[in-house]
Amino acid sequence: MRQTLRVNVFRQSLILSGLFVLGLLALNLAVFRPGTVAVVMLSGLYQGMLFFLIAAGMSIVFGLLDVLNLAQGAFFMLGAYAGFAIYGALPAGTPIEVRFLAALVGATLTGGLAGALMEIGLLRPLYARPVYQIVMTLGLSTAINEVVRAIYGPAGLVPIEEPPALATTFNILGGQFETYRLFIIFVGAALMVGISLLLQRTRLGIIIRAGVQDSEMVQALGINVRRIFTLVFALGTAVAALGGMTAAPFLGAYPGMGTDFLLVAIIVIVIGGMSSYEGTAIASLLVGLTRATAEQVSLQYFNTPILASVSILLFMVAVLLVRPTGLFGRE
Amino acid sequence: MPQPSRSANLIWLGLLAAAVLIPYLFGALTGQPEAGLSGLAAWRSAAADAYCARGVTPLVWLHVGGVAGLAALTLAGRRLGALGAALAGARGWYLAALAALIALPFLTAAVTDSSACSRGQAFFWQAIFVDVFILAILAISYNLMFGFVGVVSFGHAAFFGLGAYSVGLLMEHLAWPWWGAVLGSLAISVVIALIKGFVGLRIRGLYFALFTLAFAQVFFLLAGNRLLVDITGAEDGFTFAVPDFLNMTRNRLFFYYLGLAAMVFAFLVVQQLMRSPTGRVLVAVRDNEGRAQMLGYNTFHFKLIAIILAGVLAGGAGVLRGLALKGASPEVLGLDFTMTPLIMTLVGGQATFAGPVLGAFGLHLLEDFLRDTVVTVAGVSINIGERWALILGVIFILIVIVFPYGIVGTVQNQWRKRRARRASTPS
Repeated sequence: MRQTLRVNVFRQSLILSGLFVLGLLALNLAVFRPGTVAVVMLSGLYQGMLFFLIAAGMSIVFGLLDVLNLAQGAFFMLGAYAGFAIYGALPAGTPIEVRFLAALVGATLTGGLAGALMEIGLLRPLYARPVYQIVMTLGLSTAINEVVRAIYGPAGLVPIEEPPALATTFNILGGQFETYRLFIIFVGAALMVGISLLLQRTRLGIIIRAGVQDSEMVQALGINVRRIFTLVFALGTAVAALGGMTAAPFLGAYPGMGTDFLLVAIIVIVIGGMSSYEGTAIASLLVGLTRATAEQVSLQYFNTPILASVSILLFMVAVLLVRPTGLFGRE
Repeated sequence: MPQPSRSANLIWLGLLAAAVLIPYLFGALTGQPEAGLSGLAAWRSAAADAYCARGVTPLVWLHVGGVAGLAALTLAGRRLGALGAALAGARGWYLAALAALIALPFLTAAVTDSSACSRGQAFFWQAIFVDVFILAILAISYNLMFGFVGVVSFGHAAFFGLGAYSVGLLMEHLAWPWWGAVLGSLAISVVIALIKGFVGLRIRGLYFALFTLAFAQVFFLLAGNRLLVDITGAEDGFTFAVPDFLNMTRNRLFFYYLGLAAMVFAFLVVQQLMRSPTGRVLVAVRDNEGRAQMLGYNTFHFKLIAIILAGVLAGGAGVLRGLALKGASPEVLGLDFTMTPLIMTLVGGQATFAGPVLGAFGLHLLEDFLRDTVVTVAGVSINIGERWALILGVIFILIVIVFPYGIVGTVQNQWRKRRARRASTPS
């Protein structure tokens, strides 16, 4: 009975999300030329993928460990800076493709390592005190931001060059879209599917999903939950760092870049329903599309992108009023 | 804890009144009433003379004596009969601290050899303490929600910033008188609290915290946007004119006492609330909401009361900030003004009365003292003022891991332990 009810709610939310996207599309088609619509939709997707890269880790970690990791934005920034450092450190003759790939891999590893250290050193003592965890991650976020500011200065770094194959634009229905942003969409989609497969099809995924349901029970079955916690946490921060590095070719790297994305990521996981991975994936796309549409609309009518940020905040408030635990959240 | 008797309350009030009035009397009595002045004007000019004198005046000695006397009475405590008993314990310390704050402008004037009511070192310190008072009110309000009722809010800056903005906008654009603008701003705080309460309190725990964060962020974005540039001045903010007596550049001593009075008021309001039956229910809601509901309390109403009160206090702090700076800019709505009271509450000790105030004093004064200090560690020189955010971050982490009850909480726990040990050993 209960199970069917939840499946129904899930299906309902899925239909609602679909209708919402169709509504956005209709709004776009009514207001803009086809070329602009295509660009808006693609840019919504690429923003959504970036949000997903930060939010995915937060959501899984929250489900498993009950910790809202507000330092996730800092790991996003850390990824960008680590990528820059590796990119710059390679010898001058190295081809850009190699540098770029090395930067991506290095940033991901750095993020994962830093995340593992944080979980072991700072979070473990606090599992018994939920509110303090939030405060601690917040403090850590500030500290990481400031350390980066102290080392690299407040101004930020100039964006690095992307591989020449991706540094072009292409034409879609008369609108211009950057190939590199398409690359981000692919990276995001690949990770979305990859993490989903990891959760659904591997032994580790089964343990994680069981841990989200009841981690004490998993421990009672003889599985070292602590190690799983660390692994999942590191995975989350690694994905965030990868996100930061993929954003680096057009955002550059600056202190506080994570905070901007963190706020959106929070909105995403709240809309998706905190601990639901599917919810987070769907919500990040919804938020990305909403944001892109609102940005274009408000640029056209008010000559400022103000609606971009406001729209997703209002979106979140609206969702919370209808579903107090988010679209795909548990009671 | 034995309840203090009514006569003890009277003694307490009498001492406080004397501490406030004595300087006035003294100023009036020692000044020479000039010919041709009316009684009141003579009184005033004499008081001004006594206040504004440079260096170590008899007034300063009077203040020092008063503070020392109160502290001594508190320490001696019950051994000194009714008066001492009334002062023993926390109440005496509060009173001594209040007396010290009343005396402070003159003490700094004496120490720095400047006047308490014209430009100089003492003036500078008054401004810093006005900031401290405002932050302390904000922290008291935050602690009411966070410490006592257990509702985590990440959007407290909305109350604070809207207080600062609305008082200025009402005076500047609608030409309301200052008192109307202040009352109007407080009314806006109530409205915001009602919206947050009715909409947000349906949502539980972390969801509520994130809801408030989004709520505050909307105002932050709107305030900083060019869309409303004619009204709010966008990211530069705006300035407005305040009546002469509220002008902190000229009448700073008055503003100092205004801020102090507001802080004491906020402190007493929260203290009285939490000692009342309503306060007991609020704590019960924090500890076990389901049980409080079972006992027949409408916990939603109680939480609503708390959020309105906290909103008005934080809004009031914002109004003071707006008036003090004679302007407002988007930063007052930003995340900083949610995080600052949170960390002040944690450092001082959550769910204690003095904690947030101590936290505000400690952190803000530390920041000011260390502003231009340069420390050299292992060959790297660090300017502490520039790295203050980093230090705050580290304090955050340390407090959370090592010192979870804050200063006041830890001290209280020690006392409790010692008392328990004393009770268990037969004398």
